[in-house]
Amino acid sequence: MPINPGREIRLLRLLFTLLLLCFLPILPPLMAGCSGEQGQGPAGASAPVLQQTALQLNWVPEPEFGGYYAARETGAFAAEGLEVDIRPGGAQSPVEQMVAAGQVEFGITSADSLLMARDRGVDLVAIYAGYQSFPEGIMVHASRGLKSLAEVFKGGTLAVIPGTPFLKLLDREYGLGRMKVVPHDNNIAPFLQDPLMAQQCFVSSEPIVARHAGANPQVFMLSDIGFNPYTGVVFTRRQTLEAHPERVRTLVRAVRRGWQAYLADPEPANRLMHTLNPTMAATTFAEASLIQAPLIRGGLADDQLGTMTLERWRNLAELLQGLGIIQGIDPDQAFVNP
Amino acid sequence: MKNVANPGECSRSPIPSPAAVGAGNGVAVSLRGLGRRFGPTPVIAGLDLEIPAGQFLALLGPSGCGKTTVLRLIAGLDVPDQGRIGLGEDGRALAYVFQDPCLLPWRRVLDNVALPLELEGVPKAERLSRAHDLLDTVGLGEALDLYPDQLSGGMRMRVSLARALVTRPRLLLLDEPFAALDEFTRQYLDEHLQGLFLDHGMTVVFVTHSMAEAVFLADRVVMLAPRGAGVILDHPVDLSRPRDGPCRVSTAFLAHIQRLSAALIPSQEALAGSGRARIIEV
Amino acid sequence: MKGFRDAVWLPPLLSFLGLTLALEVWLWFADIPSYLLPRPAEVFTALYTEGADLTRAILRTSLAASTGLLVSVIIGVAAAIGLSINDWLRRAFYPYAVFFQTVPIIAIAPLLVIWLGYGLKTIIAVSFIVSVFPIIANTLSGLLSTDPALRDLFRLHRAGTLTTLVKLRIPAALPQFLTGLRIASGLAVIGAIVGEFVADDYRGGGGIGTVVMVAIKELNTPKVFAAVFMAALLGLVFFALVNLLGRLTRRHWHIAETRE
Repeated sequence: MPINPGREIRLLRLLFTLLLLCFLPILPPLMAGCSGEQGQGPAGASAPVLQQTALQLNWVPEPEFGGYYAARETGAFAAEGLEVDIRPGGAQSPVEQMVAAGQVEFGITSADSLLMARDRGVDLVAIYAGYQSFPEGIMVHASRGLKSLAEVFKGGTLAVIPGTPFLKLLDREYGLGRMKVVPHDNNIAPFLQDPLMAQQCFVSSEPIVARHAGANPQVFMLSDIGFNPYTGVVFTRRQTLEAHPERVRTLVRAVRRGWQAYLADPEPANRLMHTLNPTMAATTFAEASLIQAPLIRGGLADDQLGTMTLERWRNLAELLQGLGIIQGIDPDQAFVNP
Repeated sequence: MKNVANPGECSRSPIPSPAAVGAGNGVAVSLRGLGRRFGPTPVIAGLDLEIPAGQFLALLGPSGCGKTTVLRLIAGLDVPDQGRIGLGEDGRALAYVFQDPCLLPWRRVLDNVALPLELEGVPKAERLSRAHDLLDTVGLGEALDLYPDQLSGGMRMRVSLARALVTRPRLLLLDEPFAALDEFTRQYLDEHLQGLFLDHGMTVVFVTHSMAEAVFLADRVVMLAPRGAGVILDHPVDLSRPRDGPCRVSTAFLAHIQRLSAALIPSQEALAGSGRARIIEV
Repeated sequence: MKGFRDAVWLPPLLSFLGLTLALEVWLWFADIPSYLLPRPAEVFTALYTEGADLTRAILRTSLAASTGLLVSVIIGVAAAIGLSINDWLRRAFYPYAVFFQTVPIIAIAPLLVIWLGYGLKTIIAVSFIVSVFPIIANTLSGLLSTDPALRDLFRLHRAGTLTTLVKLRIPAALPQFLTGLRIASGLAVIGAIVGEFVADDYRGGGGIGTVVMVAIKELNTPKVFAAVFMAALLGLVFFALVNLLGRLTRRHWHIAETRE
């Protein structure tokens, strides 16, 4: 290599570098395209062709997703011309990011997370509400004889997933000054060990496990103090909504039928989910589906299952804004009832 | 005690009797039937050696002839498989100089020299003062606050010598101490060591590869053969002390060297062949 | 200006600025949304606007990490000395030391919560478990590899085991100990952060690990990167402090030490 490259060579190097820099912006969209959208059906065949798509769950297969497995098993998806790959999730599955990046067309999340994502500029839209009533609460030991949620915060430890939106609400309403606030792990042992432990719970999950372990839990539902986001919400990108409105409609119809079937008889779907998630006992599946049923239905008729109101979304948005969790609100853009 | 009659010429003299050199300061060493093996091969076998008090003995020989082993056995750093070692009276005041100066890098020179006294529980003021004296003796009195890595190889070896002498040992064992130094430093240190020997009069056992060094320093040279074959030469050096630089090239000196070299040949043949080495006395 | 050009910190600083600039330019033109990969400018903005929260959090984590490291040093050196004294002891108990290295901390941490409760002491415990092994292993190695000639010298002058340990083997093991300390310092930071994931009392905001978790949940990716940057900075500070310690104590050691 010459110590003093000639002027022409230096110029060529500069041009080459600039050219390279110009090509770099093309790479990310290319990469996104590769992990790509599904939904293109195979072209012109004589037999009925099923459109392929995927639904990303935000937890492992449990009764909270019963309707989707029921929709597949009862043929509801197929009847609408869809073949849906139901993908189990786990702790901290980044479902919003996965849908936003186009890795998967549909995902499950809660309304508050959806609004937070929208606040960050991610144009996600809810299309079906799995739970009409917020199924989370604060679980304490019944032996404490607490009469209301307010009494919970007089002392002891509160275990909540860090960053959970309703934590700020609890602080505002009741003051957490006398509590130790610790991370909530997927582990019932700390609760069993500490009589003064109060922990975040999914009403059809942790209390059942605690009872089986010999404890006597009492749950204060957060919906009772006005924190009531739609949960188990099926959502997608606005892009998908605008490009494939029919697919969205048909998916929602099939999901609704699936939930109808599941609420009528959860047994077949539970059996299937148990094979996918053997760590949960079959009896627990049964108990959980029983407990969650009224929260899922929310008093709606079968053909109204999953529909959402602007009032609920607006209330939630105003609440989150008041807590400083989101800046702007456009609740009418956040959902549709296709 | 310089021989004025022939300056620059080592003259033969009667073997200097230890008594004349302040032999009260040395201990006698006696090795009887000494044997040591590492694994199947014996390094020394059936070794008998008597070292009178106050004698400067050089142990000479090629690698593997067991000279370091003998030294370590005398020092008590190793235990013989057979035989006995006797150190006249109480052999406690013993010092060992290794081929490496072996100074503690994290201590000053003065503290390094004082180390043996420290290990024996001598109070601080006294041990530092004795160490200082000894450093003066080896010409490093100014260096007492320096650290080993600030010294040259030769200086470090002098510190090591000072450390060896700080306990006023009656038996001084040296294992090729100057082998890693250049020729000039080596000769300078040889003369230094001779001076210390003449001043203190302890028994010295000095292991070396170098015939010239052995002849320069020792009253008596013992050559060992490899693989436990034993002593092949036990040769007194009858040159007058103090021996100096020019002495190294005197006729008498070279005659001793020739004698030592001659003893090597049969042993080399013995190495090649299978015959046992014979002991040759002059 | 020769001195300036030769400064040790200059090349890494320049490379950092260069890479950051390149990344900024690339992301400016590329169409990657901020919540996936924020531009460096957004991360620095988050560092500024969330500065108070991040500083509070990193100080809390530093407290846990430095205490964990201190405990590791005390227990680690003591264990190494104990193991170095007796061959049988070493063979019998060294495997337990290895256990600290190999145990998956994610599995152990919830158990620690059950045994020790929530809060700083559990976080320190996690930091200790994760960082103690390098100190034991390196210090032990240093204690066992003392120059045999020096050991002979001590034996010759009839120095006892304790004297040899204190005056010879421990000082001789110092360079190796410092090597272990260097490795352990980074691990102590990681351990503190992992401990926070499981055991932090975060009513006041928690440590930097909790801040990362909350920022992820809130989809505040610039803040996630800002918090991660602070955590990395903490690791670097620990590393630099250990190096400084090494330089100060090695004043008159072997000359041929590599500079880091």
